[in-house]
Amino acid sequence: MKKEKVELTAEQKARKKEKTRAAIYTHRGFYVMFLPVFIFALIFCYAPMVGVLLAFTDYNGIKAITPEIFVGLENFQKMFSMSGFWTAFWNTLELSVVKLVLTTGFAVIISVLLNEIVSIRFKKVVQTIIYLPHFMSWVVVASLFSLILAPTSNGLVNTFLVQIGVIDSSNMIYFLGSNKWWKPVYYMINLWKETGWQTVIFMATLSGLNTDMYEAAGIDGANRFQKMIYITFPSLTNTILTVIILNLARIMNLFESVFVLQNDAVLSTSNVLETYIYYQSFNSGSIPNYGYTAAVGLFKSIVGAVLVLSCNQLSKKVRDGRGIV
Amino acid sequence: MIKSISRRDFMKGMAVGGAALGSAGFLAACGSSSSTSSTSSSSSSDSTSSESTSTESSESSITKPDTIAVMVDGTVFTEENGRAEFWDKCEELTGIHYEVTQPDHDAYYDVVGQTIAGGDWPDVIILSSTYYTSYANEGVLWDMTEAYENSALKERIDAAGSSSAVEGMYINGSLYGMPVTRGNGCITYVKQAWLDNVGMDAPTNYDEYIDMLTAFSTDGKYGISAPGFIGADSPFVNYLPEFYQDAWPSFCQQDDGTWTDGFEEDSMKEALQRIADAYTAGIIDPTTLTNGTSDCRNKFYSDEFGVFTYWAGTWGRNLYNNLVNNGLDGDLVALEPIDEVPYYYDRIPVPWCITTKCSNPEGVFEYFISAMLDAGEVELLFTYGVEGVHWSTEAETLYEGTDSEVSYEEGEFHMLDNLETPGTQYTKAHIDPMLALVAIDDDPGAGTISEQARSSQDTFNANCKSVVIIPSTDEYSQYNGDLVTKKNELIANVAVGEITVDEAYEDYASEAQAWSQMIVESLNA
Repeated sequence: MKKEKVELTAEQKARKKEKTRAAIYTHRGFYVMFLPVFIFALIFCYAPMVGVLLAFTDYNGIKAITPEIFVGLENFQKMFSMSGFWTAFWNTLELSVVKLVLTTGFAVIISVLLNEIVSIRFKKVVQTIIYLPHFMSWVVVASLFSLILAPTSNGLVNTFLVQIGVIDSSNMIYFLGSNKWWKPVYYMINLWKETGWQTVIFMATLSGLNTDMYEAAGIDGANRFQKMIYITFPSLTNTILTVIILNLARIMNLFESVFVLQNDAVLSTSNVLETYIYYQSFNSGSIPNYGYTAAVGLFKSIVGAVLVLSCNQLSKKVRDGRGIV
Repeated sequence: MIKSISRRDFMKGMAVGGAALGSAGFLAACGSSSSTSSTSSSSSSDSTSSESTSTESSESSITKPDTIAVMVDGTVFTEENGRAEFWDKCEELTGIHYEVTQPDHDAYYDVVGQTIAGGDWPDVIILSSTYYTSYANEGVLWDMTEAYENSALKERIDAAGSSSAVEGMYINGSLYGMPVTRGNGCITYVKQAWLDNVGMDAPTNYDEYIDMLTAFSTDGKYGISAPGFIGADSPFVNYLPEFYQDAWPSFCQQDDGTWTDGFEEDSMKEALQRIADAYTAGIIDPTTLTNGTSDCRNKFYSDEFGVFTYWAGTWGRNLYNNLVNNGLDGDLVALEPIDEVPYYYDRIPVPWCITTKCSNPEGVFEYFISAMLDAGEVELLFTYGVEGVHWSTEAETLYEGTDSEVSYEEGEFHMLDNLETPGTQYTKAHIDPMLALVAIDDDPGAGTISEQARSSQDTFNANCKSVVIIPSTDEYSQYNGDLVTKKNELIANVAVGEITVDEAYEDYASEAQAWSQMIVESLNA
């Protein structure tokens, strides 16, 4: 039944205002405490957003002599006409989505397996070992894997492949310099570095599960595998969705891990939007048009926002109207 | 006694605390902002003072400025390294007061960009070639052509035979910045011990060079390594000059003044084929594509390859010392260019520029920039720093009781212990004495330069050519980023054998050539 909107009288409106004022006064302590956060957000989060206006201008950073020239959607037209942009766009989506699916999937599997370990001490040791790579800087990781994957006798993987007869020493594989191998290697390195850290959230969920369900399932004759399939995994669904949605917000922000592992030969495979912006800014041998790089950045943010909202809508449908954001 | 606190009191306390914290943060932000604006206002008042000085002067004479606002990077002494003493001494020698802004070296160009965008420009600024051309194009920099060409400085530079370094800084016939040193560049070093091992002399042509690399490439070792097949900045070809020879992957100016794209020349295609052949033959380090410069240096020090094209001068000494420290024979041959290589490339030097907001640019040029190359006291200051702070001639022992202990006699010139990183001696101030456009008369520090450094620098200086500056155009700044990315990708893929030279140029023609043509047309317009 549709509710009818009730028109308030002037007196009622005044009373309502008074009530609001009184409520604010009563909780004035909270409002004062909120003030620094509000000012911080305003100055550091919202004020810089004015910068998106640059996307509609030609601007080379010399405002005093050549101020921004409003060019409307010209930067976006150029962006959509450049093959380099589209390559970077699709690479960003592919690398991020595959990475997200793989790391989340593996994190769930590892969490469930860790959850099955009975010895607390052994479990903690394993957890610590798989968390550790997360704390390594990407630069160190890149140096490490460049060495391990080097196409020389110093490269661990190539030497191993030669030893077991898969390749011969004159045909070593340049994993990081080959368009064919770069993406699989990138996913593998990400799995090694980030999967362990992602298990933290799933392990937290698992540790909070009601053990009664397992006991009941045991009484009903369920074995360990069936308990895992019918109790553990479904219990993780909400957490998986939350993790995916939170990560979707960052899906277009891919820079460091790609930048440190890429090289000239694999640019068509590895260039993502943020490295594209970087090369536009620093490869041109001239001061770039910041308007164009701002346009690429704005487009990236819009796509990120759309992805998050879409996933949230999807989540609402799947979870009876309950979204995440 | 424990005092109970009511909810209301607690909330009040928290509120006051929160507000205080918030205000502190806000005031801190204001504080930093006001500090910046105070610097700005100080510099603008300086401008006013120089303006009034300038007004008093007659038109024919050049007035010495009272104050100069200078923005410098970390190549000039930083605060920790005696900045105050350095600029005090400069003031004493030139009779000019200096307002110095020196951002962190790593963030220098961020701050330069913000300063120029903000409009509160210094009088003098150090700029890299990228910013130099762009800012000159946009009218940020004062045209010093006339001042330079009618100056005693030009006579000194011509007499020293360094005029090519300044000529390379001209943009469309105008000079907007004054280098005080050459840009320096890379020279090919060959390990003498490796040559002795294979019974060969240093090569003089490409065939001999390839024979040498082939002879070196045995037992898991390689002839040569480099940090990538193409450099990120100009001069792009400087790590593999024997393979590139006369090829140039970017825009170049012909004798008749027209611009062309060197990547489209046959010489570039031939160069790519030479690199691909050498890579396939296994004489170039297989990890060249993913090498950084430090990777190359470390491999060179651990004797993994025998030929390294790296910076001339001080690095000649560093390479020698590191090889010796690793228990290896440190003797290196600084190779003269082989027959097919016309010259080594001298990169674009970092110039000192005067902004168009400077009220007395002629005075700044004459009494400050020109003075830096006076072959006398001011140049000595910019070369070695302040006596007693950065260098000394007093008898003393440094690092007593350590492995680095070194003693100097009375009157012996020597650099002092580094103030920021004790345990190491200073090597120079802003001007590298081996690269200075004008040598200091009776240079007291000449004896401190090692034989290895001197030898490589002399060989380089005798065989180098300055890289030509490409004027910035709208098309250049719009499309060159994509163009360079595409060219580098094709070069790398040809080098490692993923595609052939013909395939690379077919790919290039499909899109990138159009960008190149637009840029060439704009440069020739």
